[in-house]
Parts: sequence; structure tokens; C-alpha cells
Amino acid sequence: MNPAAAPALPRPAGPGPPVERPVPRSRRIFLPGLPFLAVVVLATFLRFWQLDRIGFNSDEAVYTGTAAALAGNEQLGAVFPIFRAHPVLFQMLLSFFVRGEVSDWSARALPAAIGVATVALTYLLAVRLYGRSVALIGASILAAMLYHVVVSRQVLLDGLMTLCATAVLYCIVRYSETESMRWLAAAGALMGATILAKETSVVLLGAIFAYFALTPTIRLRPRAVAFAVLAMGLVVAAYPLALVISGHVGSGQSYLLWQLFRRSNHPLGFYLSVVPAAVGYVVMLSALGGLIWLRAENGWRERLLMGWLIVPIAFFTIWPVKGYQYLLPTAPVLAVLAGRTIFRLSVTRRFARRGRLSRIVRLLTAGVVVVSVLLPTWITINAEPAGTVLAGTGGVPGGREAGIWLRDNVPDGSQVLTIGPSMANILQFYSHRGARSLSVSSNPQSRNPSYTPVLNPDLAVRSGEFQYLVWDTYTASRTKFFADRLDRLLTHYHGQQVYPRPETSGLDISHRNGPVVVYQVGPS
Amino acid sequence: MRALSRLTALLAAALLALVGAGYPVGASGPAIGDPASPVGHQATTPIQHFIFAMQGDRSFDNYFGTFPGADGIPAATCQEYVAGHPKKGCVKPFLLNPALPGAPVAGATVINRQWNNGKMDQFVSAFRAQGRDGSTAMGHYDAAQLPFYWNAAREYVLFDSFFSSSRSGPTHNRSYWVAARDQTVTISPTSADPGRPTIFDRLQTAGVSWKFYVQNYRSKETYRSASATDPASQPGRVPLLNIGRFIDDQELNSHIVDLGQYYADLSAGTLPSVAYIATSSATERTARSVVSGQNLMRNMTTQLMLSRYWSSSALLLSYDGPGGWFDHVAPPQVDADGYGLRVPALLLSPYAVKGQVNHTVLDYTSALTFIEKNWQLAPLTARDALAKSIAGGFDFTSPARPPAILHGTNGEPPPAVLRAPAAARAVFSAYGASVVLVVLVLLVAGLMPSAQLRWRMRRMRWRMRRQKHRRIGWRIRRRGAHSAARWRPSRLAPQPDDRLAESLR
Repeated sequence: MNPAAAPALPRPAGPGPPVERPVPRSRRIFLPGLPFLAVVVLATFLRFWQLDRIGFNSDEAVYTGTAAALAGNEQLGAVFPIFRAHPVLFQMLLSFFVRGEVSDWSARALPAAIGVATVALTYLLAVRLYGRSVALIGASILAAMLYHVVVSRQVLLDGLMTLCATAVLYCIVRYSETESMRWLAAAGALMGATILAKETSVVLLGAIFAYFALTPTIRLRPRAVAFAVLAMGLVVAAYPLALVISGHVGSGQSYLLWQLFRRSNHPLGFYLSVVPAAVGYVVMLSALGGLIWLRAENGWRERLLMGWLIVPIAFFTIWPVKGYQYLLPTAPVLAVLAGRTIFRLSVTRRFARRGRLSRIVRLLTAGVVVVSVLLPTWITINAEPAGTVLAGTGGVPGGREAGIWLRDNVPDGSQVLTIGPSMANILQFYSHRGARSLSVSSNPQSRNPSYTPVLNPDLAVRSGEFQYLVWDTYTASRTKFFADRLDRLLTHYHGQQVYPRPETSGLDISHRNGPVVVYQVGPS
Repeated sequence: MRALSRLTALLAAALLALVGAGYPVGASGPAIGDPASPVGHQATTPIQHFIFAMQGDRSFDNYFGTFPGADGIPAATCQEYVAGHPKKGCVKPFLLNPALPGAPVAGATVINRQWNNGKMDQFVSAFRAQGRDGSTAMGHYDAAQLPFYWNAAREYVLFDSFFSSSRSGPTHNRSYWVAARDQTVTISPTSADPGRPTIFDRLQTAGVSWKFYVQNYRSKETYRSASATDPASQPGRVPLLNIGRFIDDQELNSHIVDLGQYYADLSAGTLPSVAYIATSSATERTARSVVSGQNLMRNMTTQLMLSRYWSSSALLLSYDGPGGWFDHVAPPQVDADGYGLRVPALLLSPYAVKGQVNHTVLDYTSALTFIEKNWQLAPLTARDALAKSIAGGFDFTSPARPPAILHGTNGEPPPAVLRAPAAARAVFSAYGASVVLVVLVLLVAGLMPSAQLRWRMRRMRWRMRRQKHRRIGWRIRRRGAHSAARWRPSRLAPQPDDRLAESLR
């Protein structure tokens, strides 16, 4: 008999005891995971939305160029050496994404995916520390946080460094819970990976040291420490080992010296003026205010998180070389701490006994905070490109378009002279033409060892070493001296605007009709 | 009306047939025939602009004697100090690096003695006969000193059987350059205009545009005020300034302009069909001017490549004599005056065969032959009428090659690029091993419960000990087998936050 054709059984008449239907296993697992899935979808959307709207900035061009060189791209390999200022773990991973055709999207997809993974890992970390509710709020904040979204959308080393650093935190939390040697060894190995992602993360060792030194309740067994240090050492050994095998020890040393003694690029209060706005004032207030408000409950967890905040912030504030994205490893910590505070707002005495009200207050508060960080993020990733941008906050407008124009319109082997090395890197990446810049110092101690100075720009242009001169808003706004020098060369050597199409005939350096302008020059 | 349209159709068909009978031109190739040229004298090849630059005296072996694939310096070469006296020693060819001695400076007497009726055996002794040390004549350059020229030869055409037209010296050769004959004998401040035609007379008559670009041009310096036989003087370098009509006729004289005009013409779109170039400070006669000459030629080539003319032009670069430098090839005897010794010659054009070493026997008049055939002009003398054209260096069946800027540095890739694959291998090995290590440690940490791990390690240790004791015949008690039972997951008491979190979950 066909079961579908069977008559329906009559319902039992009259009220009866409620029948408890067993919840299917799939639903038991799936339903609680839904909010987390929503957070991951939000994180993915914000990191992949119009990912290649604006072309690369200088760092992105260099890292992608290095990855392409590792992948065997001869054109980019001739321009971008494999060993520059940093270890190349990220570039090595990226090289698998840029085999064959190199596109902005394929290169940026990796850091964007790493950003999403960091959000998921932050959730796991927060679950371990404060439970699932706090984890959801913290992960939502990180998913929408301008600071993390903006850096994750760029081909930068800091995204991978932050993922590895968050994993180190997770392992330390597991060690603190279990005192199991394997978690400390895992933390050591991951710390090694963090350093391989970006060597500046070595300052986080200070945070780990401070945590164990200030938390005597967590026993630190010498054998566990030895294993952790060994694991870290073995992982980090890849950096010098690769340099030794390929015979580039000298270049590694010159980069180190240059990094140690280079000039300050931002004032002391740089991070104070930039990071709170990028993280979100409400998030900052929640995270730091919560530490004070809930100080009675502060324990090893908060000590660990505070160390993870204070050490890098203090170090990079004092360190003369500052970058917008250098403090990214603190973003997951701030998100978790903010989540903790927001969660506790809804379980104060006033609401604790009213379960539903408490839930509504929790949802509302979390919603308001997440929206407060989501709005600036959405506005930023959709904003029209501005002429001047802070390094590390996104692509450089016009660079990609000018580079592609050069690739399509100027002969192979042409040499380009730019105002600064950032635009030179971008143009080299997109145009596959050689580019050097005016502002590279002739003093070896004051310049990045990757760059070659133009010792006598006037002679170089006169003798036909450069055929094209490029002016750009991004660099001209940062160094008026060299921008003026480029203008003088244009005047002396009959500069003719070739990109974008000039509005008037003849050279007009007082009015430029694009963020990047290319001029052809000839000997006098 | 119908007859008119039929006539138009016939004319169109005839025109198409004429064009089709010429050279196949790709879709991207230029149209045949310079629109500016008069009917009957339009270019018959895609080359609508021909530039011929003449530099100071250098022999082929001096510049390209070690160029791969070229007829270069034979291995056993050694020129005797004193001809016919091998016991007095000889000089082998040597690289002019880093020492760059002064040029040997050779006139007709020395060159003829070096030639020695085709024996080519007195390159050193010819100087010693004059009381000079002729060792310098055996010096030669290579890619390190001539990076641009060698890069150009690798990319375009190098002629290795291109001879100077005369053994009488640079000014005589320059006369052949423009007139296919030696007319320097008629020059003197009082002499009448020789009246013999040059290629520019032919072009002028045919209405084909031309210009003579002179570096640092001084319009007053002609054969009337300076020596016409001194290769360093302006009339010595610019043969037209030895001919009265090119000085006195304003129309003709207006075609002789400063080299700066070359760049202006490229930029303004006024490059003539035929252009000759004579340098002054960058002639490459001296060791010092080799660098400046090379830079100048690089600049001129680069600017041509960047201009609208590249796809329809050709640039021939040659030298006005051997200058006393060694060359091992005996020139063919075509008449009483020549040929002279071999000189370097490079042809750069989008239609030039890529990296060809052309072995056709040519001289300066071969360029005149090409001009005459391309613009349908009558030959000047028997020399150019009989000379083979340089057209063998072109491949008009292929579309024009896009320009590629040639650099003034050695074409070999830098060491960093050469080492890139090795560096990539090192990175993948070292960093790959690190990644594997991290993954393994994480797997151990996350997947294997600690008690199990500890128990396994103890069992393994116990097994190893048992095997060792078995070997030496001992009996031992099994210890530590129950250690896993003593394991405690954590000694940390739950903290206030844990309890709070658990209660609110």
C-alpha cells in the first residue's frame, strides 16, 4: 500500500498533556550555530564587497609582486626581488593565488579570507574566555570593525600576523586552563608563524612574558617552556635559513639596519589620533571602560588580554616607525573585551532576574554597538577615492589606471621617473616597466635598500635614461620639495602630457586633470 | 554617367592591383606610400622614413669582433710589430677594458699600408713605420663598453660585411655617403661647384622631403671658412657644406639644420622621408666620445621609437672608416678606390629581422641604392647602381614589430633575477617545512588528548627499555602502565566568570 494514499489518522479529541517532540539532532547543532554563521557571512560580505574597486597601494604591489616572483612570474620577478624587508610567509601563501594571471581580486582574496578566519577564531577565543554570548558580540564587532575590515581588504602582512597572534592567544588560554605542555608548544609554534608573517610581532613575546610573570597561579613548567621555545625557534628558523640557502644574507642584514635606524615617519600621538576612530569610539570605550567597571572580576583572562593590548601599543608609540596597520593584533582583543562589557550591561542586577528583558537589552546594546562600527565601515568601503590617503588605509586612486595605460601604450623597456617610491612600486607592478623615483636618498643609510637613487635626475633625463615622468597627488601632497623638482624637469625637458588626455595643448603644470599624470620627455 | 562609373571602377581596380603587387601589409602595418611624397615617388616599401647616421671611424672588429655569430676576430690573430719579421714579436687582440687608450688616428697612408693589397697584416707595423706604437690598433670593445650597440645588434640587424666605400679616409667616405663618388678632390675655397648630383639633389628634384641634421650646427662654417679635409671640422663631417649650391641656395641650405630639430620634428610630426645625421662632439672617434656617441644614438633611437614614425621608419648607423683599428677581412676590390675596410653597421627598424647577423657584402652606397629603389630615383654613379641594397635586412612579410626601448646597460639579466628560481626554492623549502611543523604541533595539541599522549609516550619508553633489557638478558617489572589513570584534566578551579557564563548559557 502506498503510504501517501493512506487516510490521515484522526486527531485525539480533547485537551491532553503536551507531547514533547524530540528535537532532531541536525537542528540541535544547526540552530545555535545560526548567529555565528550570520557573523561569518557579515565578515565575508564586508571583506569581499567590491574588493578590487581601487588599485593597489605600494605595499600591496610589492607583496603581490614578490608572491608573483615566487610563483615564477619572470616579468614581475625582474622588478620585485623575493627578499626585501620582511619574512615571506604571507607572500609564499599568496604565490599559490597568483600563479598564471595576477589580478587584484585574486591577490586580495587571500587576506580577505584570512580576515574572515580571524573573526571565526576570535569567536572561539571568546567562547573559551567568556562563553558563547560574549563571543557572538565580540565576533560581530570584529566582523564590522573598520580597522580590521580595511586592513583585511589589502594585500598586507598584518592580516596573517593577526590571525596567528589570535591563535597564540587561544593556545595560551588553553594552556592556562589545562597546563598541558602541548598547548604551550602549540603557542610557541604559532608565535613562530606570527613572526614569520611579520617580524614586528616579536613584541608580543613581551606580552606573553608579562602575562606569565604577573600570573603566578598559572604554573610554567620549564620543560613546557623549553618545548615552546624550541617549537618557536624551529619555525622562525625558516627566515634565516631561506636567506642562507639562497645567498641573500647581506640583503637581510641591510634591511634590518635600515629598519632600526630609519627616520620617524609619524608623530608620537599618531596611534591615539588614528586607531580609536578606526576601531570605533564606542568599542574602545566599552573595552577599556569594562576593564575598570568590572575590575573586581578581573583575573588571568583580563591580565592576558590587557598585556596583549598594552605591550604593542606602548612599543609602537615609542618606536619611531609607525604604520596604520601595525596595531591590528589588538583588534580581536578589543572586540572581545567590548563584547564582555556589553554582555555584562544586560546582566546587571536590574535585568538579571528578568530573563526576557535582559535578552532584549543585550540584543539592543549589541545591535547599537555593531551598527555604530558597521556604518563607518560601509561608508569607507563605498567612498569615492580621495586624492590623498593615509598609507595602509587602502589602495592609491589612479595608480592602477596609470600603470595599465603605461603597459598598453609605451614601448617595452621604457623607464619612468616618479616623485616617490610608492608610486614607482605601483607603476612597476601594473606596467611591467622600470620606475625609479626622485625622493630616494643618495645616502645608503637613509633609504630602503630595495630602491636605487637617481643621483643626478637632470643628467638622467637629459641623457634619455627616463622617457616618462609621472606626477601624482598622493606623493605630491606629502613632499612638495620633490614635486617641485619634478615640475622643473618637466619644464626643462619639454614635458608633454600623454595621460590622461590633456585638456589644453602645451605643458600646464598648474592644472592637472587626474590624480596621476604621465608626461613624455625628450632631450633638449 | 554609366561610363564614368565604369572608369572609376577600373581605376580603383588598377590601384588595388598595384598595391597588391607590392608588399603584403598586415592590418596593423602602415599604408604604403608617403602621402607627403609626390605621385611617382612614393615609398615602395613600408619604410616611409629612412634615417642614416654616420659616426667617426671604427672598424668592425673593433666594435663587434667578439659578437656571437658575427665574422669576428680569428682565434690565432697576432699582428707583427715589424711586417715580415715574426721573430720581433706580435700583438694579439686585447679588450679595451678598463684601459681606454686614445684612438690610433690613421690617414689614407696608414690604412692602405694596413690593407697591404688585401693581406691585412700591417695593422701594427704601419704605425711603427711612422715611429708610433701601433699596439692600440689591436684593441677591441665588447658588450660591457658598448651595451646599447650590442643590445641593438641582438634585437635588430648587424651587418658584418659592410665595408667603407674608400680606403682614402673619413672625408672621402663621407663623400660616398651622399654622392656615391669621391668628390673631395674638387673641393677648394676657390673651386667651382662640382655640379655632380648627390642623393639630396635627386630627392629635391623628385619632391621627396629630406633633411640633414648636424649636431651643434654652425651655419657659417663651410668649406669656405674651414678645412674640408679635416674629419673633425664641420665641412669634413657634412659633405653638403663642401658644395656651393647647398650653401648659397637658400632653399637647399634650409634643409641643413641642427640636430635639436630632429627631436622637434619627431614631436611635431614633420620628420622628412630621408634624413642624414652627422654628429660633432659625439662622433666616437676618441675613447671618451664612445660613451657620449652611444648615449646620443640611444636617445635618437628611443625618441624615434616613442614617436608616431616608428612603425614606418628605419635607422641605419655606420662609421666613416676603420680609423686604423684592426679588422681581419680583406675588402673586395670593386674599383681603384675601394672597397675600404669593414665598418660596423646596424639597422634598426620595426621591419628589421630580429637578431640577424647579415653577411651580404655592402658599403655606404648600398643605403643609397635602397633610397633610390624605395623612392624610385635614378642611381647616382656606377657604384650605387651595382651595389646590393640593405633591403636584405628587412622582412616586409611580417607586421611591424612594436618598439622596445634599448638600454644603455648590458643586456644580461641582473644576478638577482638569475637567482630568483633558487631563492623561490629556498623559500618554499624552508617556509614550507615551518608550516608543516606548525600544523603538526597544532594537530598534536588539538586532536590528541593529553592522557592518551602521555600514556603512549610511557608505553613507547617502556617498550624501548624492554627491548634493550632483552638484548642483555635482564628481566624487569613493568612500570608505569597504569599512569594514565592518575591523570587529572585540570587543576584550575573554575573562576567566577566561568560560573557566570555557564549560568547564563
